[in-house]
Amino acid sequence: MPCLLRAENVFKRFGGVHALNDVSVSLNRGEVHALMGENGAGKSTLGKILAGAIPADSGRIFLNDRLVTIANPHDAQRLGISIIFQELDLFPHLSIAENMVIGNLNYKEPLLVRPASMEQFCRPFLNQVGLDLPSNRLLKSLPIGKMQQVAIARALSMNVRLIVMDESTSSLTDEAVDQLFQLIRKLKASGVTIAYVSHKLDEVFKICDRVTVLRDGEFVATHAIEKIEQRDLIRLMVGREITEQRCEPASSSGDTLLSVKRLTTRRIEDISFDLHRGEVLGIAGLVGAGRTGLGAALFGLDRIVRGEIELNGKPYRARHPRDAMRRGLGLLPEDRKIEGLMMQMSVDENASLSILARLLRWIFVRRRQERAETEQIYRETSLKSPSGRVPVNSLSGGNQQKVLLARWLLVNPEVLFLDDPTRGVDVGAKQDIYGIIERMSHQGKGILLVSSELPELLRCCQRILVLQDGQLRGTVNVAETTQEEIMELATHVPDPKRDARDDRNNHVVRSRN
Amino acid sequence: MNRRFAELVPIGRSLLGLAAIVIAAILLSPHDRDGWPIFLSVGNWTNIVRQMSEIGILALGMTLVILSAGIDLSVGSILALGATLTAKILMECEFGIGIWPQISVAIALAVLASAMTGFLSGLVIAQLSVQPFVVTLAAMIGFRGLARWLSQNSNIGLSFDDQHISGHFTSIFANPYVVIGIFLATSLLFSIVLSRTVFGRYVRALGDNLTAAKYAGLPIKRMQVAVYTIAGAMAGLAGVIHCAQNRQGNPNDGMAYELDAIAAVVIGGTSLQGGKGTIFGTVVGTLTLGVITNILGLKGVDENVKWMAKAIIIVLAVLLQQPETFQKLMNSVRRLRGVNVV
Repeated sequence: MPCLLRAENVFKRFGGVHALNDVSVSLNRGEVHALMGENGAGKSTLGKILAGAIPADSGRIFLNDRLVTIANPHDAQRLGISIIFQELDLFPHLSIAENMVIGNLNYKEPLLVRPASMEQFCRPFLNQVGLDLPSNRLLKSLPIGKMQQVAIARALSMNVRLIVMDESTSSLTDEAVDQLFQLIRKLKASGVTIAYVSHKLDEVFKICDRVTVLRDGEFVATHAIEKIEQRDLIRLMVGREITEQRCEPASSSGDTLLSVKRLTTRRIEDISFDLHRGEVLGIAGLVGAGRTGLGAALFGLDRIVRGEIELNGKPYRARHPRDAMRRGLGLLPEDRKIEGLMMQMSVDENASLSILARLLRWIFVRRRQERAETEQIYRETSLKSPSGRVPVNSLSGGNQQKVLLARWLLVNPEVLFLDDPTRGVDVGAKQDIYGIIERMSHQGKGILLVSSELPELLRCCQRILVLQDGQLRGTVNVAETTQEEIMELATHVPDPKRDARDDRNNHVVRSRN
Repeated sequence: MNRRFAELVPIGRSLLGLAAIVIAAILLSPHDRDGWPIFLSVGNWTNIVRQMSEIGILALGMTLVILSAGIDLSVGSILALGATLTAKILMECEFGIGIWPQISVAIALAVLASAMTGFLSGLVIAQLSVQPFVVTLAAMIGFRGLARWLSQNSNIGLSFDDQHISGHFTSIFANPYVVIGIFLATSLLFSIVLSRTVFGRYVRALGDNLTAAKYAGLPIKRMQVAVYTIAGAMAGLAGVIHCAQNRQGNPNDGMAYELDAIAAVVIGGTSLQGGKGTIFGTVVGTLTLGVITNILGLKGVDENVKWMAKAIIIVLAVLLQQPETFQKLMNSVRRLRGVNVV
C-alpha cells in the first residue's frame, strides 16, 4: 500500500516534560493504524499534532511525499486531515447541520443561513455514515454515539483523507462501538486512512491493520497486527511483563456495613442491597443505567425521594458530600478532571485536601505532618511523581487517579464508592489500583466498585449488582455467572406489551445468593 | 531543569514586566540639577507606594476573590462608604470617650460596616447562587447610594485644626510611612494566609475546580462568604486611609478603583479563571501600575493621553506574564535560525 503520510523526527514538550521525543511514523493509504501506549506515552499528542490541534516543536510531515506545514486545524482541513476527539468538539446548542458547516471550507456560506442549503450539503454525508435524522435536530438531544457519527460526517464533508480518532470508544455503549467499527470498515474501503489512538487491546486487534507503539514519548515499534501477539504488544507498551492476577478480597462473611432499602432519587428507583465488611460489591450496567446515580444518592449529591439507608446499623442520610464524609462514606468520582482534581494545584495539596482539618495547628497547615502522611500513602499506592510539589496536571492519567485515590485513603472512610476507578488508566496503574482495593477490603472496609469493564468486576468482586434504567435488574454471584449473563441483565428489554409501571412493581430480583 | 528554579519561573515572569517598566521609566525620567533621574529619588518612590497603597489594599482582597473564581466590582463604592463613615464619625459624633478611643471606634466601625457589605454580597452569591459579577455590580450601585444617603450626598471635610480629633487622625494615617507600612503588613499577612493556612488552600481549591471542591467535601459556601467579607473589610480599610489622605469623606470618591485593583491583580499574573495566583504577584502588579502612572505624570503627559498609554501598558504587562508568549518568542528565534517548526 502506498504511503499517505509520514511524520519524521517530531518533538513536543509541555513545560519540562517530553511528550514526544524524536518520533517518526508512517501511515498507509486506506489502513487503520493504531497508535498505542499507556497514558502519557504521547499517542494522543501525536494524533493532535497530525491534525493541527497543537503545533509540534519541531519535525517534518510529508503528505504524499510532499513536505507540508500543519500549524493549525485549517491547514489540516485543507490537506484533508480531521480529528475526532474523545470529548467531541461539537457545539451542543447548534443543530446537526450547523455543526457540520461551521468552519467548513467546503461549504460556501450564503449571506443568510438557509436551512435548505445546509440540508442539501449535509445529507449525502449523513447518509454515508448511516444517520437518518432530520439535520435540524439539536446536537445535545442525541446520544453520544450519534454525536460521533455527526463528527465523522463532518470530517467526510471536508474531503477527508485521514481521520485521527482519539479514544473514540471510551464513552460508547457496546452497540455503538459495533456501529462505529462497521463505519470504520466502510471508510477504509473507500480509501480513507484512520489513525486509531487507543489503549484498548481488543479493539485494536479487532479493527486495526498495523500498530505503532509509543512509550514515554518515544517510538517503540510498528507491527502488522496479524504478526504480533497480544502479550507481546502489552510488553511493548509497558516495557515489562504484566501478569494478570485475581484480586483476593477478604471473605465477605463480615457484618452488614451498609444496608440500602428501596432507595429512590430522580436517577434511580427502588434499589435495595446490603454491603458487608470487607466486601467488594460490583456495580455493572451501561452508561446511564444509574451507576453514578446510586453513588450520588449515597454521597448526598442527589436528593433522596424515598428509601432507607443504614450505615453501621444506624440510619444514614447525607445532605451534601461533606455530611457523607463525616459519617464515613466516600466517593471517588467518575471524571477525575471535572469532579476530582484541582489541576493547577500540587500533588500534595490535592492529596491532603480533604484531611486539612486534621492537619490544623491553629489556622495553619502542619506541613511536616502533611508531607509525612502523603508520602506514606504515595508509597502504598506506588504513585510516581517527580515531587509532591509539581502541579497534578503534569502527571499521567494513571498517576492522577492515584492522587485522587490517595485523597480518599487519607480520609479513610468506612464505605468507599469507586466510580469507574480504572477509566482511562494504563495497564500498570490498573494493577496497582486493584491492589489498593484488595488492601482496603482486608482492612474491613466496604467497597462499591463501578466499572464499564466486566472482566474487571469479575476479577475483583464476589457479587455484582446489575443496573439498567435506574433499576436493579439482578444480583449475580461471580463464581456462578458469565459475562454473557450480566450483559443480558444489563441490556434486558422489558416486555413492551406490559405496562411499564406494572412491570416495575412486579420485577423479580434475580439473586442466586 | 532544576526543580527549585522551575518554581521560581512564574515569580520571575511577574517581576520581568515591572523591571521592563522601571528601566523604561529610568530612561525617560526627567533629571534633577545633579543629572540624577528624578524617578529614582527616594521622595518619588515614597510617593509611588503611598499613592498606590489604597489600590494595593483593594487588590489584596480582590486577589482572594479572583482566586476563588469570583470578581468584586463593589470595592470602589465600599471604599467611598468607608471613607464617608470615618469622616462622619470623626466630625459629627461626640462620644466623650477621648480622642484616641473615638478614632479607634471610627476606624473599627468603618471597617466593620464595609465587611458587612461584603458579607451581604457573599451571602447572595453563595446561598442564592447568583453570579458574582451580577451581585457585585448591584452592590457597586447600591453601596454607592448608601454612602451618598448617609452623607446627604455632601462631602464631609476633616478639620485642619491640629488640636481637633481629625487632626490627630490625619497626622497618623496621612503619614506616607504609616500608609506604606499598612500596605506592606497586610500584604505579608495575606501572603501567609494564602500559602500557609487551610483557608488559603480552600480558596485556591474552589477557584481551581468548584465541582471537585464539592466532591472533596469542602465548605464551599462558607469560603465564598468569607472571601467577599474580607474583600469588603479591605475596601473599608482603604477607605479609612483615603479619608485621611484627602482630609475628607467624599461619597463620590473611589470611582473605578475596582478596575485599577483588578488590573493590578491581573498584571500580577493571577488568572481570572481562578485557582492560580500569588500575593507577591499582586504587589508587583500594584507597583507596576503605580510606576506607569508616576512616570507619565513626571513627563507631564496630558491626562487623556496618560489613560491611553496606561491601557496599552496594562495589556503588554499581562502579555509578558503568559508562558505562551515566551514559547512564541522562542519559536520565532528558532525560525530565524532556520530550524523547521511545524
